[in-house]
Amino acid sequence: MRTQITHLFGLKVYTDESVYVGEVEDVLLDVEGKKIESLIIGKVNNDLIDLKTYKGIKIPYRLIMSIADIVMIRHLQGAFREL
Amino acid sequence: MTRILARSLSKKKIMTTDGKMIGTLKNIIVDFDTGMLVDLIIYPDPSFDTAGYRVDGDRLTITFDSVKDIKDYIVVDRSLARR
Repeated sequence: MRTQITHLFGLKVYTDESVYVGEVEDVLLDVEGKKIESLIIGKVNNDLIDLKTYKGIKIPYRLIMSIADIVMIRHLQGAFREL
Repeated sequence: MTRILARSLSKKKIMTTDGKMIGTLKNIIVDFDTGMLVDLIIYPDPSFDTAGYRVDGDRLTITFDSVKDIKDYIVVDRSLARR
């Protein structure tokens, strides 16, 4: 699906186990590779990830399964705190 | 390796490798399936001759393949931008 990159801003991010992760705040681009490197996620679910003093997280694009009304990423066992 | 945040590209100026100003960046078209950056959507400067380029209303589309680098300006190869 081809879409404007600004469509991503503000989209909610969930894992494939329907767990809320956060919201897309920005997109990191790899200019030489001509691809999206990662998504910058803010408003992070504190129950899922302990941010300590950080303000957000970066999700590599390879973890993304699909993007439409939300962004769906693979649920990583071990990377997230057990709910 | 150039990595750049999408929001920092807002209204960035686009210049050809031979020093001609094309206009300002409006948006980037991405393919969500592959994460590849496909096209740049540009508001062309009134002085820029858009003949030979893909024009849709007041907007100009050039392929991301023509992008050489992004720093203070987005530099594109004019021979690759035309089609």
